Amino acid sequence: MEPMGWTQFFIVFACCSVTMIICRVAPLFLLKGRALPEQVERALGFIPPAAFAALVANDLLSPNMFDAGLWPAAIPLLAAAVVVVVAKRTHSLLWCGIAGVIAYALLMAIPL
Amino acid sequence: MLGYVAIGIPCGILSNSIGMNALQVFVMSIVFYSGAGQFMIPNMWIAGAPMASIIASVSLVNTRQMLYSAAFAPVCRTANKLLSFMFAASVTDESYGVNVIKFEEGGWTVARATMVNAFSNSSWTLSNVLGVLVGDAIGIPLAVAAFAMTSIFICLLLDQKMTPSNVVAIVVAFVGVFVCKCVGLSGPAILIGAVCGVVAAMVFATVRGESLHGEADGSREAEVS
Repeated sequence: MEPMGWTQFFIVFACCSVTMIICRVAPLFLLKGRALPEQVERALGFIPPAAFAALVANDLLSPNMFDAGLWPAAIPLLAAAVVVVVAKRTHSLLWCGIAGVIAYALLMAIPL
Repeated sequence: MLGYVAIGIPCGILSNSIGMNALQVFVMSIVFYSGAGQFMIPNMWIAGAPMASIIASVSLVNTRQMLYSAAFAPVCRTANKLLSFMFAASVTDESYGVNVIKFEEGGWTVARATMVNAFSNSSWTLSNVLGVLVGDAIGIPLAVAAFAMTSIFICLLLDQKMTPSNVVAIVVAFVGVFVCKCVGLSGPAILIGAVCGVVAAMVFATVRGESLHGEADGSREAEVS
């Protein structure tokens, strides 16, 4: 992996920050208290479940995940299962983060 | 606040691993200020995704902020413009939840809500910079640090309302990402997968005649069932 240089950092930082500030500020000032059009609100409402599912899938699945054997592929899946249980019980981002990292580290330490 | 520290440190470690220094992480945390985004950038960079894919995927995930912004429009109508801007620019998934409850309880002002956001931003920024500084010192494997964010995404995903349309969005996005990776499109996989999920859910909701706030149109419902 090539380290990220200043130019690349600046491009990614500037573009992501600009879209972020527009998304955060524009609706508040443009709507002036009116509701969003229904179709727009509906589509926006589907973005969080779709985006979070895509991010989780991207982290957990890949076509060659079993190349190194069953166990290396099973580690993130088992750690994810632990997080699912913690998420259902606590609904806490903090506890999920801690449980996930500890489960992952412990599973990596098992020499299989 | 503790949540920001627990997530901010691994985020700083990860950012440091792709060559970002403390100053860059500091600026990024204050201005861009997004947990999901700041984890996605180093993760996708490590995976070798092109910059355009990183920017497009992060921007798509940013759009959820529009819902929060729209939700706060009524309470900011009478507030000072600059203050409203400062407030809106610093809303996050977590502070949105806190402030919505406070505004509903009443007696809460935009100024106070902005203070909550400012404190959250400070603890996020400080813990990120701390992550950069300790990143080299303690040898936490990257895969472990990165899994902090995977865990948070799982939690955020499970906290979504499991309506039929949302389940369609989730399943299609999940499968879409895997298919993209199988055909060699791992760079834009998140973006393509998520957009497929949203489109599929829109089509599904329209076909079912679902109205926005859950109560399905009676006559259509009878036809379907």
